[in-house]
Amino acid sequence: MTPFAIVLCIVCQFLIVIGQLFLKRAMTPTPHPHRPAHFTLGILCLTLWFFLWLGLLAKTDLSKLFPFEGLNPALMAIAAWLLLKERMPAGAWLGLLLLCGGIALVASS
Amino acid sequence: MTAKLLKPAWFFNPYVQLGFGALLVTASELLLKKGATLTLSAVAVGGLSNTLGIPALASFWTWFGILTYLLSFASWIYVLRFVPLGIAFAVINVVHVLIPLGCLIFLHEPVSPRRWMGIALVVCGLLLMLQQVVKAEAKL
Repeated sequence: MTPFAIVLCIVCQFLIVIGQLFLKRAMTPTPHPHRPAHFTLGILCLTLWFFLWLGLLAKTDLSKLFPFEGLNPALMAIAAWLLLKERMPAGAWLGLLLLCGGIALVASS
Repeated sequence: MTAKLLKPAWFFNPYVQLGFGALLVTASELLLKKGATLTLSAVAVGGLSNTLGIPALASFWTWFGILTYLLSFASWIYVLRFVPLGIAFAVINVVHVLIPLGCLIFLHEPVSPRRWMGIALVVCGLLLMLQQVVKAEAKL
């Protein structure tokens, strides 16, 4: 995998998480003045993610690309840790370490 | 009687749907991969278009993959109405094994022991982060 492809894979996972969070904000039961903006940004992020992913799929083994999807829930947990000061127990940090190690192993295979 | 045939109760069992959803996710990724690969050399266009995988839209495999992806999404939303997120998330991680298996069987990708080892680490890592992910999903 070229370094550019690896960066694109990681960008993809950021886009999907940011897109999901925007859509979640847009779907709250009580209407919010920024709702249309959140909805549009969410759809934009997810559209960009989808086309970048298609472009990556054209050139790289799927079995090599898919493990990067594991970053998606991990980024959610990191976002909760950073933004909501949600405590991360040692086990979760170990999980994050294993996940990143696994992805590095797959990318170099 | 017809209602029973059209809407079999077992099929709408949330846990059956969870397994079915995992199969749909696997199928959609394999179909998208097939569409993207088939159109790679067929259309020679500029850098950005290729980076964004636009040529893949010319293949019906890609569209079939998009349809399957949408179905998997609907299935997931249905599952989350009945199954606690922690359980659903733990089970859906099976796609990390199903997809490389599908790659091996249907796409004849060479999945080396090194790659399997990496995939195993990814799955273990995700299971260790399970509680944090559930909390993040609920609060973010």
